[in-house]
Amino acid sequence: MTDLTKAPEPRLDIPPRFRPSGVATAVAITIGLVVVHWYAAVQTNTSPKELLEGWRGLWNFLFGVDRTYPNGKTIHQDGAFPLDLRWSETIRPGLEYCLLTIWIGLLGTTLSIPVALFFAVISSRTTNRFAPLWLTGRAVMSVLRAIPETVYALMFIAAVGFGAFPGVIALAIHNVAVMGKLWSEAMDEVDQGPVEALRVAGASPAQSAAHAVLPAVMPSLLGLLLYRFDTNVRSSVILGTVGAGGIGFFIKTEVDSFHFDTMMTYVCMVIVLIIVIDLFSAWLRRKVGTV
Amino acid sequence: MGADHLSGAAMLRIDGLRKAFGEKTVLDGLAFEVASGEVVSLLGANGSGKSTSLRCVVGLERPDGGTITVDGVTAKPGEAMPTVAMVFQKIHLVPRRSVLDNVCAGALGRLGLSRSWSVLAFPREVQAEAMACLDRVGLADRAREKAGRLSGGQQQRVAVARALCQRATVLLADEPVSALDPAASEQVMNLLRSLADDDGLAVAAVLHQPNLARRFSDRILGLAGGRLVFDSRSAEVTDETVASLYRPALEALEAAESAESAESAEMREYA
Ligand SMILES: Nc1ncnc2c1ncn2[C@@H]1O[C@H](COP(=O)(O)OP(=O)(O)OP(=O)(O)O)[C@@H](O)[C@H]1O
Ligand SMILES: [Mg+2]
Repeated sequence: MTDLTKAPEPRLDIPPRFRPSGVATAVAITIGLVVVHWYAAVQTNTSPKELLEGWRGLWNFLFGVDRTYPNGKTIHQDGAFPLDLRWSETIRPGLEYCLLTIWIGLLGTTLSIPVALFFAVISSRTTNRFAPLWLTGRAVMSVLRAIPETVYALMFIAAVGFGAFPGVIALAIHNVAVMGKLWSEAMDEVDQGPVEALRVAGASPAQSAAHAVLPAVMPSLLGLLLYRFDTNVRSSVILGTVGAGGIGFFIKTEVDSFHFDTMMTYVCMVIVLIIVIDLFSAWLRRKVGTV
Repeated sequence: MGADHLSGAAMLRIDGLRKAFGEKTVLDGLAFEVASGEVVSLLGANGSGKSTSLRCVVGLERPDGGTITVDGVTAKPGEAMPTVAMVFQKIHLVPRRSVLDNVCAGALGRLGLSRSWSVLAFPREVQAEAMACLDRVGLADRAREKAGRLSGGQQQRVAVARALCQRATVLLADEPVSALDPAASEQVMNLLRSLADDDGLAVAAVLHQPNLARRFSDRILGLAGGRLVFDSRSAEVTDETVASLYRPALEALEAAESAESAESAEMREYA
């Protein structure tokens, strides 16, 4: 019998935690990472000196600066603070621009639903077992996704001119690709049991999609849809800065005309807008999850 | 008990069925028949190929060889047969859908997409037929409830109703009662028996309870290593015959255990 009250005699060597080859690999990786980052810093002029000068510029931008010109005149350039809180000139139009941003995000999301659903269904192995078709679906979505929303927006602005509409189209196209992928992944993870049961009953792939897969994944799809709405409202702010309407467009115009205080008011409104949309979408997603 | 049906021609006939997953042979020339009005039980140790054989019949697996005929029609490998339905241990209803909609789904094979793209498109005749099927399993009063709200035994009966709505003549059941309590098991087995006796279905059920198999089936088939090792009238199957089915597995288990205890004895000695 072993005496359990005493520590057992040491019998086996403890295997080393680190092997020499492992240490060499770790050192090589570390050196590689340092070199890559140093090169990136050189290429981007990132240095403590730049950072310090940048700070001064930022300070002037935030709180204003008195500029003395060679002719002896001194002109005060307003900074971002104090904020521009004029109601009818700034805040009320700002609220309208924010609403427009929401409408762009909403339409961009909603208009993409039918096509995203089509791509999701043909790109999921659960709903489509014909390999060439789902490969095509995935390939098309990858290509569409590779182009950022901003680039779509620039193209459509070139085609139809400034305004909210090119923003909606840009968001919708990009969202087809992103939401289609998220949705098809949700469908891939669905329980195969009911799908098989309906296949035994003679259901076609489209019928199993409608009667086994979609009912099972509907809450996930809704959750992802709300998440995309949230993200698309953010994106629509950015699209505005390249000319596709909404609050982003006016942030850009105010910066261009050196009205930093008005711009900062709009930025604060964006912060509130994003937080409100985020809370709203999180709340709705919780609701959907419990259905 | 249904013995008079035995003379009937085989509704389901399986011959020389072979299936391998990679190197592993799972079905090795399996052959058996099930007649209309007959309940046949399949017994066998875990991994003996019971589920795989049923899945080959309904086209969920593609057999490597052999023939499957249903009412004289030869099945195409890997394709579903309209007249063969299957119920599963895990039931596989859509829990979020109503009981009635789940039963209607059994009719999908004979509905075009225009009449089945959504539950709203199901024709009235199909819904009426589904209600009749639900009535057959005694659950017509639960039609509008969500399937997920029903008990396991009730859900399994809904799955049987879905099979009926498919207008199946052959009903396969893979461990239909393994997840159910004794009372619910009894109810489901009675239902299967009555579908054979009163509606003339050919029923083949994989069971892990030899007692249920003896009580509810006309014949018992024993499977081991993907082959049929016995095919006898239920009354003629002795405890010894049944036990022998599971013995190889038991022996393997004992062998593994004794090897393990020998090993630990060695370790103790060493210490
Ligand atoms: N899709 C698959 N891929 C690889 N191997 C499989 C697959 N399906 C089944 N098998 C293997 O085939 C063998 C037989 O499986 P099968 O499910 O038919 O056994 P069973 O008799 O139904 O057993 P159980 O009583 O556990 O349900 C098992 O060894 C299993 O691991
Ligand atoms: Mg099995």
